[in-house]
Amino acid sequence: MILLSDLATPIVMGILLGGLYAVIALGLSLVFGVVKEINIAHGDLVILGSYFGYVAMTRFGIDPILSLVIGIPILFGIGFVIQKYLLNRAFRISTDATLIIAFGISIILESTYQFIWTPMSRGLTTPYALDSLSAGPIHVPLVYLLDFIAALVVMLFLREFLKRTYLGRAIMAAAQDRKAAHLMGINTDQVYAFTLGISAAFAAIAGVFLGLTFPFTPVSGMAFLIIALGVIVLGGLGSIVGTFVGAIVFGVVQTVSGHFFGVAAQMLAAYTMVLVVLAVIPRGIFGSR
Amino acid sequence: MKAVIAQLRGRLTVLIVVTIVLALLPIMGVPRVLFLYLFLFFIYLTMANMWNLLAGYSGLIFLGPAAFIGLAGYTMTILTWLDIPYYVGIIVGAIVAALFAVLISIPVFRMKGIYFAIGTLVVPEVLRYVFTLWKPVGGPLDGLGRGYPVHGVIDVSRIEVYWLGLVVAIGSIFLMRYILRSKLGMGLAAIRDNDSTAASSGINVFNLKLYSFVIAAFVIGLAGAIFYIYQGAIEPNSAFSVRWLVTIMLATVIGGEGTEEGPIVGTIIVVLLYFLLARYAQISLIIQGVILVGIMSLAPQGIVGSIQKSRPYHYLRQLATKH
Repeated sequence: MILLSDLATPIVMGILLGGLYAVIALGLSLVFGVVKEINIAHGDLVILGSYFGYVAMTRFGIDPILSLVIGIPILFGIGFVIQKYLLNRAFRISTDATLIIAFGISIILESTYQFIWTPMSRGLTTPYALDSLSAGPIHVPLVYLLDFIAALVVMLFLREFLKRTYLGRAIMAAAQDRKAAHLMGINTDQVYAFTLGISAAFAAIAGVFLGLTFPFTPVSGMAFLIIALGVIVLGGLGSIVGTFVGAIVFGVVQTVSGHFFGVAAQMLAAYTMVLVVLAVIPRGIFGSR
Repeated sequence: MKAVIAQLRGRLTVLIVVTIVLALLPIMGVPRVLFLYLFLFFIYLTMANMWNLLAGYSGLIFLGPAAFIGLAGYTMTILTWLDIPYYVGIIVGAIVAALFAVLISIPVFRMKGIYFAIGTLVVPEVLRYVFTLWKPVGGPLDGLGRGYPVHGVIDVSRIEVYWLGLVVAIGSIFLMRYILRSKLGMGLAAIRDNDSTAASSGINVFNLKLYSFVIAAFVIGLAGAIFYIYQGAIEPNSAFSVRWLVTIMLATVIGGEGTEEGPIVGTIIVVLLYFLLARYAQISLIIQGVILVGIMSLAPQGIVGSIQKSRPYHYLRQLATKH
């Protein structure tokens, strides 16, 4: 019983942290599901979102969450341009080409951040960043709850968007069968560009919540990309629900093992879990085919 | 046929002459800086050759070479602390890397294509955490960010390490030549062209890929361990860093993935870039990124690949084979 009440906080923290991972991973998962490419630069786009929030907060005194009103369209534009002018070309060459180009973009972004914002660690320290909530034996920081709410909002938005709008249905069509969609008069190149744009817009949201939760540096993108990749292969590539479940499993394993083996071992435990799960079910929990 | 042999022999002579010149350079009293860059060239060339074997010939987009480099480097370092000579450490390090390749092939080879790429990107990250937590060498070095100096290599002359680098680099070139003309290489070519046809002609697709994976792990491990003798210290964040992948991938892609000469040309360019941009570390990486993106979108076959496809090259080749 004591063990259980001891564990309650780490488990709840893990679920909420999983929310943050889900926001980071959803954009990546969407692009994989539709365009069938891994956008290695996704983590760096997330960090761009964090820096955007940072600039909005320190320069203009705007709350980082409010600054998303401008941040989302900007990142959407960047994502759109990357896909339209770089990745769409590469896509016709080979899958390796898209992977390598995305990798190149990631290097460019990372070193640009270092150039502009120096390698120093930053954080979005808002007045409410240190508040915490408690219910019985459970204590969680407020920002973790915000992360989870953001994940739910993003996931529901994505679901409704894909179901109800013309663009969403076009995206689904292109995801299912590129050629057939093309024959039905869908401009698949344009659809792909929109998809990466939406994914980058999610990255803007993820970036702000990441900055609220953890400190970040210009090279944090790679670490969070690897977490997000672990999450989506765990859940099954390209499945939205799978990504969400994978993120929560990852978060819970991380915090619970942190509770038992100490903070230093928590990521190790989570990654080992991913590799073991992949060895047993190579296509993840919700993987198709 | 004779002409082809003559052509090959011609190339071989060039290679031997270049090797001898490179081997004699340190005795002739070349500036230290040049020395360092040549050494880096050898190490990166070895790794790029092996990455080319995986990505260019075996269809394995392997994103975790840092795993083999770091493991071999750490094994060698730990062994030097047990008073085992460093050259034994290099070999043992490479063996450990190869064994690790066999071990991770169990989960990783079940994933295909892009899944494989992602799976292998996670591997060095796991190892980085392992070596941050684990303190293989106890005593007074505890708690120094898990970084260790390589024990007792201060007396090892730089020239010796330089020669070691040269040996693996030339060795890796010959190894590639040998592999590609062997049954393994033929099998890999068949798999690359069409894996189901290859499988139905009796080629064991899984085994061949595993062989090239393990060979690559061993050789990358060798180069990694030699690098850390030169470096004199090892630390988890840099040993398992993505930077390794950036350099190796850049060298292979610029030169031309899936061509034998590609990594050589690519590594020359990459090391030259490092040399020219050494003073502008930040911009250096931006430029490398731009080059990677540019080459891949404009000439995806890389420099050597594009030359081989061009008209003048075909014309020259026809001229060469007519005699």
